[in-house]
Amino acid sequence: MKKFQLRLTAALCAAVLVFASGCSGSGGSSSDGGDAKKVGVGFIFIGTRDDYGYNQAAYEGSLAVEEELGDQVTVYRQENIPETSEATRALEQMIQQGATILFPTSYGHLDPALVAAEENPDCIFFHQGGLKTSENLGTYFGTIWESFYLCGIAAGMSTESNQLGFVGSFPIPQVLLNINAFQLGAQSVNPDVTTTVVFTGSWSDPAAGTNAANSLIDGGADVIAQHQDSTKTIIGVCESRGVKSIGIHADASELAPEGWITGAVWNWGDLFVDMTKTALAGEFKGSKYDGKYRGGLKEGVVDIAPFGANVSQEIQDAVNEAKAAIISGDLFPFEGEVRDQDGSVVIEEGVRPSVDDLETCDYLVEGCIGSVSE
Amino acid sequence: MINILTYLFSGAVQSGTSVLYGVYGEILSERVGVINLGLEGSMVMGAFGAYAATAQTGSPLLGVLAGMLLGGLLALIHAYLVIARKANQLATGLTLMFLGLGITAFFGRGYVSASIGGGLSAIKIPLLSDIPVIGGLFEQDILTYLSYLLGPALWFLLFKTRFGMLLRGTGESEEVVYAYGLNPKRMRYIGVVMGGMLAGLGGAQLSIAYTKTWIEGMTNGRGVIAVALVILATWQPLKAYIGAYIFGGAQSLQLVLQQQGYDVSPFLLLMLPYLLTLIALFIVSRRKRQVMPAELKKIVESSVSS
Amino acid sequence: MTALAKKLPADWWKNALVWAGVIAVPIVAFGLFLQTQGVNAIQTYGTMISSTLGTSYGIGEVVVKSTPLVLIAVATAVSAKAGLVNVGGEGQFAIGALAAAAAGMLLLQDVPGIIGIPCMALAGIAGGMLWSGVAGVLKVKANMNETITTLILNYIAVQVVSYFVYGPLKDPDSFNWPQTARISSQLRLPSLGGGRVSIGIFFAVGLAVILWLVLKKTKWGYKLRVIGGNPIAAAQAGYHVAKNQLIAMLVSGGLAGFAGMLEICGVEYQMRQTTGTNYGYLGFLAAWMAWNNPLLGIVTAFIIGFLSVAGNTMEITSGLPSSSIRILMSIVLLAILWKGRRKKA
Repeated sequence: MKKFQLRLTAALCAAVLVFASGCSGSGGSSSDGGDAKKVGVGFIFIGTRDDYGYNQAAYEGSLAVEEELGDQVTVYRQENIPETSEATRALEQMIQQGATILFPTSYGHLDPALVAAEENPDCIFFHQGGLKTSENLGTYFGTIWESFYLCGIAAGMSTESNQLGFVGSFPIPQVLLNINAFQLGAQSVNPDVTTTVVFTGSWSDPAAGTNAANSLIDGGADVIAQHQDSTKTIIGVCESRGVKSIGIHADASELAPEGWITGAVWNWGDLFVDMTKTALAGEFKGSKYDGKYRGGLKEGVVDIAPFGANVSQEIQDAVNEAKAAIISGDLFPFEGEVRDQDGSVVIEEGVRPSVDDLETCDYLVEGCIGSVSE
Repeated sequence: MINILTYLFSGAVQSGTSVLYGVYGEILSERVGVINLGLEGSMVMGAFGAYAATAQTGSPLLGVLAGMLLGGLLALIHAYLVIARKANQLATGLTLMFLGLGITAFFGRGYVSASIGGGLSAIKIPLLSDIPVIGGLFEQDILTYLSYLLGPALWFLLFKTRFGMLLRGTGESEEVVYAYGLNPKRMRYIGVVMGGMLAGLGGAQLSIAYTKTWIEGMTNGRGVIAVALVILATWQPLKAYIGAYIFGGAQSLQLVLQQQGYDVSPFLLLMLPYLLTLIALFIVSRRKRQVMPAELKKIVESSVSS
Repeated sequence: MTALAKKLPADWWKNALVWAGVIAVPIVAFGLFLQTQGVNAIQTYGTMISSTLGTSYGIGEVVVKSTPLVLIAVATAVSAKAGLVNVGGEGQFAIGALAAAAAGMLLLQDVPGIIGIPCMALAGIAGGMLWSGVAGVLKVKANMNETITTLILNYIAVQVVSYFVYGPLKDPDSFNWPQTARISSQLRLPSLGGGRVSIGIFFAVGLAVILWLVLKKTKWGYKLRVIGGNPIAAAQAGYHVAKNQLIAMLVSGGLAGFAGMLEICGVEYQMRQTTGTNYGYLGFLAAWMAWNNPLLGIVTAFIIGFLSVAGNTMEITSGLPSSSIRILMSIVLLAILWKGRRKKA
């Protein structure tokens, strides 16, 4: 026992030494001349960077900033930040470490970020997807539903059963918009088509996703799209069961050489770099990012992934034609009239809804089977 | 309609298999008088170990072994702390759950995008898989078939072998084990570690057989639910199926209901598996008391006081 | 406190040293591990400490994070004294927070704080009690193990919260984002010095002290300890085991629900799907590491709160993933569990 206590005491002393020297060490680094000139850019993510999905896409955007502007900025990152006041703390802690340009990258980080923005008027915040802004907080997002509309066209032309399936995560506006755009796209080329929707109640539960895909396939769906973070699971299930798949976030064609059609993908890199540059130059005020910036196919913020090997030329042509029409402004996927599941008109004839109207969507359009009931 | 029924059966098995392994594991652990809430940790270690090893070596068999090994390793820590150090079982288990989730998230980062090829794919059993409605049960991966057989196997082990009798004896009355000249502590270690290995196997089924995916936290509470389902099984391996398949079946049922487009919140449907588990526990609650291993009962009833 | 001091043995400092060692070993071990990952451990630990304990902001964050943990630890301890393992702090906290947020959003928007805040507290306590009460009733009426039922109820609570924040309680001005409306400003707890720390911490610590006294000094506390020690003997001695266990369970849930209310009124001001995730489990661990002593629970809750706040800094400065702090926290907890309770001479 004595010997044991002795050992512990020794360990304790070692720990005290570690702490003591640690404190002085950190004091040294913060006054380090090399870092002092660099501006801190902080990113917070709701999930983990390796999820092959939403966070991965945003993470790659942060890498682009590091690569392009590494001589001027130090990039800080924090993963798994929930959408609560934890996010305020994470942002504040980054500011304490010297960050002055902040990217809260999940929708639910908005309110916490607004709090942090108010308390730190000298910092610039770029929030991903928000509809509220402030003096020093602008929001940006990609209209990825444009890509989903194109995916819908491809799916509507590919299906034989006229039943599409969609594995959603949560019935939030961003997900509902994608489902609706997908069904509208499919409907535009195939009036008989329906999309059956299930929600897994999780962003990345591979078993729940597998189960959902299986159940949609057993229910008769022959093309499966999804809005999940870990996308490869469902694509793998579809491939093994001989069903076609639509991806999201990243190109996953290699996972499904037979059944891959295409997918909706993000490209944050150029946008993030441009936003950071604007803030670095002190030109945030009055720039296009001071407010609600939305980029789409035209700006290259979103796109569709390369077509799979088994996608016919006819389908590819139809999709590319629609893509060109969206870019030129001739086509607007949500142009009225659009009806919801109950048949009531949600977007009037000829109306092109605003960002605010679209991004507050709480319904599924006609032709979708599933429930977002309240 | 037939399709939906077919799906409900195969879906129950598919969603339930990893949980079933967890139930088997916890039965062994509790049979020797140790509650292991760290089962979730063992399961996620198993899922990670199996995936990482398969990705590294290309051999799903080595993956399965690695999954079992890591699952057992975490359970070994549990066993050491609660048996040798007499640490509180529930707190230790919960901490090990966090440790397992943390370790696998840390080391698993590099494997999220790694490929395991086909993993353990489904194998169709001729004739049996052609039976209508339940044919889907015979179109599963090898670990699922193993889980079918493990119930009787564990029953045989526990009730028909001397080793099993001693294992049970450890949980019922240590004197019996002493009388055989054996150390009940050692039996306890064996039971807990075997339990962790089975949970690891369940994790392996999840990662390399069912979803062919690794992502942190992918067990999502399945190990925790398994601990609850042991009571439904009344600590009998042959009844382990009941709870696991009720839970798995409810997972599938709620998906089927969602697809009907009824005007019901998806969250109420997502609640279904847990509600059904609770109701099932309520139904068996009258009979469970006398079958609980005596040593376990002691722990449940007295370890909390201080 | 004097009672505690009197009980300390003469060589208490030796004990303290041993304990410091027990906590230091995993920290050193983890530091070595960091080195293998190419991270400067000394520097990282230094920043972790200087950013949390070295600034008033950092200390404030630790207090914010620890407040609910203290209360949930006390909640766990109360039920444990009665021989019950309540792992349901997670669900009881969530339902309490939901009930408080609902009351604040629907009924109390224009009510002065002096009335509104106590009403929200009652709502939170009632919410927590409802959730623990289910487990309590199932325990005493249907003989269902409370560890198991409280665990399952945690999962049900997640979906209940989701149902409400997506449905009936969704803020009409939230652009259809799943969250309740922010409670009006007079319903928010006054903050200490204008920072993020609210007066909630006084309630938490105060309640911990009160419950320590209640459990230690009152007849009811004694009764609970007898029941917890040996329910069968207690029943033979004429104690109402079932009734008292149910009461303990309700008190326990009420405390966790109150923690939820403090989180809403003091920190979050609105309910979201993920509000308070893992607080229940961390509070449970704080209680068991303190052997269900509410006073010690304050200390362990602060250790856990410190580790999680410091962990965020570690992630920012070293670039390590967020899972690192979970590893560090669990090995520190395992070391404490390994050391176990001081043996009585």
